[in-house]
Amino acid sequence: MADDAVFDKKKSHRAKHAGRKAEKKKKKTQVDQSNLSARQRNPKAFAIQSAVRAERQFRRREDVIAKKQHIPKVDKTPLEPPPIVVAVVGPPRVGKTTLINNLIKSFIRTNVSNTKGPITIVTSKKRRLTLIECNNDINSMIDIAKCADLVLLLCDASFGFEMEIFEFLNICQVHGMPKIMGVLTHLDMIKNAKKLKMTKKTLKHRFWTEVYPGAKLFYLSGIIHGEYLRNEIKNLSRFISVMKFRPLSWRMTHAYVLADRLEDITSQESIRKDPKINRDVVLYGYVRGVPLMKDSVVHIAGVGDMRISELSYLPDPCPLPSSEKKRHLIERERQIYAPFSGVGGIVYDKDAVYIELKGSHSHKQDDEEADEKQALLKNVVETKETVDEQMQETGLKLFSGGDLIYPDMLKDDEYLQQGKSQDGDSSSDEQESDDESDSENDSGIDQSEKDTKSKSSKLPWDNGSGSEDEGDDDNDNDIIDNNKKENENDLNSDDTDSENDEVNQEDFSIKWKEKLTENATTAYFERQKTSKNIMKLVYGDFEIGNKTKNQDEEEESEDSDDTKSAGLLKTVTSSQKKKHKEKEQLDLDECSFFYSLNKPNLRDWTKDENKLILINSFVTGKRSADEDAEELLKLDDASDGDDEIYGDFEDLETGEKHVNDEKTDTQSKVEVGSKRKADPAKAEILNKKLKLKAKFDAEYDNPDDHRIKGDHSYYESLKAEALKQSELNKSVFENLDNGLRIEVEGFRPGLYVRMLFKNMPSELVTNFDSSYPLLIGALNMAEQNIGFVSCKVKKHRWYKKILKTNDPLIISLGWRRFQTLPIYSKIEDDLKCRYLKYTPEHVTCNMHFYGPITPQNTGFLALQTVSNATNEIQQLGFRIAATGSVNEINKSTQIMKKLKLVGTPLKIYKKTAFIKDMFTTTLEVAKFEGARVKTVSGIRGQIKKALSKPEGAFRATFEDKILMSDVVFCRTWFKVDVTKFYAPVVNLLLPIGNKNAWQGMKTKGQLKRERNIKYDANNDSMYTDIVREPKVFKPLVIPKELQKALPYKIKPKAKTMTLSKKNKKEQFSGRIAVIKNPHEQNVSNVMKMLKTNFEKKKEVQKQLTSEKMKKYKKQQEAEEWRKIKRQKEVKKKICRQLSKMSNKKQKQM
Amino acid sequence: MPAVIHNDVLMYKGSNLFRQRLLLSTLSGRTIKIEEIRSTHEDPGLKEYEVNLIRLLDKITNGSRVELSESGTSLYFQPGILIGGQITHSCCTQRGIGYYLEVLLALGPFCKEPLNVVLQGVTHHDLDVSVDKIKTTALPILLKFILVDDGLELKVVRRGAPPLGGGEIVFRCPVRRHLRPLQWTKWGLVKRIRGVVYALRVSPTMANRVVESAKGVMLNFLPDVYINTDQCRGPNAGKSPGFGISLLAETNDKTFYCAESKSSDAGTGEVTLPEDLGRECALKLLDEIHRGGAVDSSFQWILALWMALGQKDVSECVVGPLSDYTIKFLQHLKEFFGVMFKLEVIRTEDDDEGSADEEDKTPSAQRIKMTCIGIGYVNISKRTL
Repeated sequence: MADDAVFDKKKSHRAKHAGRKAEKKKKKTQVDQSNLSARQRNPKAFAIQSAVRAERQFRRREDVIAKKQHIPKVDKTPLEPPPIVVAVVGPPRVGKTTLINNLIKSFIRTNVSNTKGPITIVTSKKRRLTLIECNNDINSMIDIAKCADLVLLLCDASFGFEMEIFEFLNICQVHGMPKIMGVLTHLDMIKNAKKLKMTKKTLKHRFWTEVYPGAKLFYLSGIIHGEYLRNEIKNLSRFISVMKFRPLSWRMTHAYVLADRLEDITSQESIRKDPKINRDVVLYGYVRGVPLMKDSVVHIAGVGDMRISELSYLPDPCPLPSSEKKRHLIERERQIYAPFSGVGGIVYDKDAVYIELKGSHSHKQDDEEADEKQALLKNVVETKETVDEQMQETGLKLFSGGDLIYPDMLKDDEYLQQGKSQDGDSSSDEQESDDESDSENDSGIDQSEKDTKSKSSKLPWDNGSGSEDEGDDDNDNDIIDNNKKENENDLNSDDTDSENDEVNQEDFSIKWKEKLTENATTAYFERQKTSKNIMKLVYGDFEIGNKTKNQDEEEESEDSDDTKSAGLLKTVTSSQKKKHKEKEQLDLDECSFFYSLNKPNLRDWTKDENKLILINSFVTGKRSADEDAEELLKLDDASDGDDEIYGDFEDLETGEKHVNDEKTDTQSKVEVGSKRKADPAKAEILNKKLKLKAKFDAEYDNPDDHRIKGDHSYYESLKAEALKQSELNKSVFENLDNGLRIEVEGFRPGLYVRMLFKNMPSELVTNFDSSYPLLIGALNMAEQNIGFVSCKVKKHRWYKKILKTNDPLIISLGWRRFQTLPIYSKIEDDLKCRYLKYTPEHVTCNMHFYGPITPQNTGFLALQTVSNATNEIQQLGFRIAATGSVNEINKSTQIMKKLKLVGTPLKIYKKTAFIKDMFTTTLEVAKFEGARVKTVSGIRGQIKKALSKPEGAFRATFEDKILMSDVVFCRTWFKVDVTKFYAPVVNLLLPIGNKNAWQGMKTKGQLKRERNIKYDANNDSMYTDIVREPKVFKPLVIPKELQKALPYKIKPKAKTMTLSKKNKKEQFSGRIAVIKNPHEQNVSNVMKMLKTNFEKKKEVQKQLTSEKMKKYKKQQEAEEWRKIKRQKEVKKKICRQLSKMSNKKQKQM
Repeated sequence: MPAVIHNDVLMYKGSNLFRQRLLLSTLSGRTIKIEEIRSTHEDPGLKEYEVNLIRLLDKITNGSRVELSESGTSLYFQPGILIGGQITHSCCTQRGIGYYLEVLLALGPFCKEPLNVVLQGVTHHDLDVSVDKIKTTALPILLKFILVDDGLELKVVRRGAPPLGGGEIVFRCPVRRHLRPLQWTKWGLVKRIRGVVYALRVSPTMANRVVESAKGVMLNFLPDVYINTDQCRGPNAGKSPGFGISLLAETNDKTFYCAESKSSDAGTGEVTLPEDLGRECALKLLDEIHRGGAVDSSFQWILALWMALGQKDVSECVVGPLSDYTIKFLQHLKEFFGVMFKLEVIRTEDDDEGSADEEDKTPSAQRIKMTCIGIGYVNISKRTL
């Protein structure tokens, strides 16, 4: 059996290891090593070796990702953005004007003779630039830094960076860093190639430390024929045209305009009468930042706060090309607009047309005919708008002295143009405007009344109790309701029509379709009307439009209407009625309920027919199509397969069967409490698909998202929210008519606006210099008010001096530059502001000043002077004294100065002491009763009560007995008030050439120096030599008790106890003073003398002996020497004798 | 009636909308002058409760300047900076606490310090929204704008009926630097009805009778109806007798509608039947539900205010028919802040249908879509560290 099983077993499969099949398989499974990442190629190397390290790695990765994330901001760039402000900044004579000229030439291929003020040019299909040059005035530098989007920072390479450049960079850092591109010029001045390289490198690195590492620095290598090399300019312009910009927080909350044109429209007669009369000035420019509201207060930098008395938009003088599909700009679209420089051709204003004549000489060269032709031609070529548009701009005057009539007025664009008060008369043929003229008189009420009369089928607001509406106070509301209901009715009847059609259908389908569109359009108009009516109901009393009207003007027009129109009686009564109503409402009690004062007759909702209306508002009722689960399911099915849209289904709730049959369908509609419209239209499916596509697009267009991986759902949701909001911001007003849109949204950025300012100082016009930027910044709510601003501030480390409290300081904050008197302080741990006399070095401190209210966290910088006198600048070096940001706004301040009151003891009891000299009167003491005092040695006490006798002395108790030599002091705080001084820097009003010499309040030091006032120094503050007497210490006495306790080692040893003679002697000598009588004294004297004599003698003797000894030694030595000599001689002799003898012997032998 | 602007001062006439003007002036920092305050009346000048409001505003601001003419018929108000903080205020009993509380609610998010106010007075008044209504209806609206609830609280410590009052509430409100833009176009369907009936110094059966009748009406529409009774005793019951009811309807999208009724004041001689009261309140609530919209009709104005004070982004909300008060408020918003709403009447599908298949007049309420761009209002009082 077992064998059977063995035989039965199938042969197992053996994979081929060699041969054709094996090779094939190998080829199949083989992966291309070249395409693999290191991780795939060698997975083991990347496996987790240690959990700790893996955790660290993960954490690090998350950190890196988190660092990349920024709080998503809502993108607020408009569809047609304003031109980008490109500022050219640098010290004098570096080639700013040349650069601008070259850039203009490279962009639009024309030469501009003089470049003053902003120059707007069209550079590409979607981009315009406003080029502006910044002169060498710190005021201009500040204003330019506040409005520039891109700064070309020019620097003379042969000289290096100058102080102005660092100052400008610092200003930028404070007011929001625009994009900065460095440009090195004058490179041809450096002849040595190696030196050139070195200079470039050092300058580049210095620039990087200032801006950010890797910031772009351009090199303009040289000038040929007064122009930079064309290639380099082209390169630069390319860089400019692809530059991207980050939103800056200040500019994303404030609207601003860089004015590029100024007109003085004061009547010449009044100027002639009084040349100093306040002027009416019109300024023009593009709105930037956020939408500019109509009646907002603005700050004109260098002039002051102004309220715009008239704001309107004009056709763009330098428009972007039409959206035709072509790659390049054609020559005609390369436009330039620079009124200050005298370029820009014909300009259409509201009330005039300006033609640039290019000076009086331009006519002389050609003969007149040719000139005329040319002008005509140019006119045609240069027109920026169609004939229709031009027609709109030109007005028609019917009567002399009457208002201009514009074509716009004849249309329903009621909001756009001025003088609309008369348009009703001039265009009676148009129904729309007719309505408006009515509404002009009575703000919508009359019209609705008329309507109700004519239709007479009045629909009551509450069924059965319509009568109560009549006498109602808020008949405005009711009437508008009625009005609306009529429209509704109309619309509904239309709808029923269409439904009938639907039932009949099929053969009428084409007709039906036509009708449908017709219906749709009528419905649309109706809706428009009602919405307009509700707008009118609310805002009817306000002047809406491009221009504000005067109250009396309106009155006048009303009068004229009265006289002209046939319905004289009616208008009068209506106006009377209105007035009466106003009077009635004047002193009503305020109540926020819907039915404000009178109790309404409520509809009886328990009745069946009323119940039906309401039943679907509850969860137990039927849902609408887009909410009902069933419908949604159906919709899903439909999107899955289109053929199943009208499939059969059963409504489980009602138990009714829905079959694909029109009849039952309509029936079910008629049924009580039926479902709301539930046709899953194709449009909805399409909608869904579109949404999906949009989602995909959003993901695909923002590749940034993909860099951030992992689970960052919170961040992602924030981002999605911001995206959604920006979409909404862009789309919600898109279809609104322009006048109304401006009213709701404000003048959106990118519009070219005209601002009329009344009562401007005449100096602005007479001393106008176009090389100074004219920056108009809108102020948000409450920013026009003045209060106490508290901010943190740090003295700039390059500024040489420290700043003193209450020295005037010029602060650039928000749009403004102003001088004020700051008080420095330090915030203590208990949040008290302690007064400081000087700013500390290298740390921030607090600063309070009286100035314009500005939102928190706004940066500012402080200067001590804005004047450009060279000696002053040289002395200062770096002009920016301090930088900081706003902390808090308030209407009062609490700055406390530390004050120590010093007194001395008058009399001391045990722990009580009388203190004098601290106060001068009893009243003062009474104020300080209970206050803590302290002696210098640290004994604490309390002020108890004033003494009667020495005025100002008091009784105080201490925790211990104090000494007469102690000084008692009382620590108190003294409130310091901030001086209410605020003076805007009005440098634009100064005479030309003197604009940089604005001088405000001077410091005390300056005044003293000027007038040569010197105070005597306080004697206490003088430095004197310090005399220190040597300290005499008392001998140390150790108490007996203590001595007993001490170990023997450190016990003081009395030298009495021992019995040895030596000590005894000392003891006696130390103890008894020996007083000798005169005889003894004489004896001892004589003995002393004898002793001295003896000692002297001994000494002399000693000396003598030593000399004798010396002598003797010498003698001895000499003798010895002689002895040795003699011995030598003898030896010699002997030796000679011996040798002689030996020689003899030899000879004998 | 639009204001006349003279030297940057907004000049108004008449005592009507006094509270709106003071509120908006404080927020916008613009000076106002109101003239001819009840100048033709027998009792000319400001009333006690209006002076009381000025006192309250003075308490929560720093640096306000108020000048009243001798006769009290003209007022000059220069607002200061909102401070907030700990405040105790006894409100005038001529108006309810709601009159003052609404102002505090509107100002609360823009103070320097979080608001912590104790208000004493009449908690339920005919002319003003009651504290219950504010608690249940207005606070959720604010929550939509500030998103995080850190200490937004309204506590009714004691109830007090007119004319003597004796009620007390504690209101806490966090501060914000700015409000979020809000899109609120859907409000869903009513999913539950809640309510509270209070009886102060009257028999407890009154409360039960009110509950009975109110429930009777509401149960026709929804089974989920719970109404609590709050029978107060001793000092908690205030100084005057009275009873009342407030009903709350909550939708599944967190919109709250509230209606309330109260007995006539003690001493007037009128008698209110509890059954009538309950039924009246229920009908009022149904009326409110019928009007619909994202917020209760009494708080349209506060919604509009916070929309207008948002960041420079688009906010859009759908509300029911605009109340008279809201219309006036929108006009004032235009004057003080220069903000204009785009108002559109929205048509829902059932409008068409409803009138199509039934010929009787079933006017569906007007729904208005309010769209505006916030003015980018920032809380300038708050301190940054």
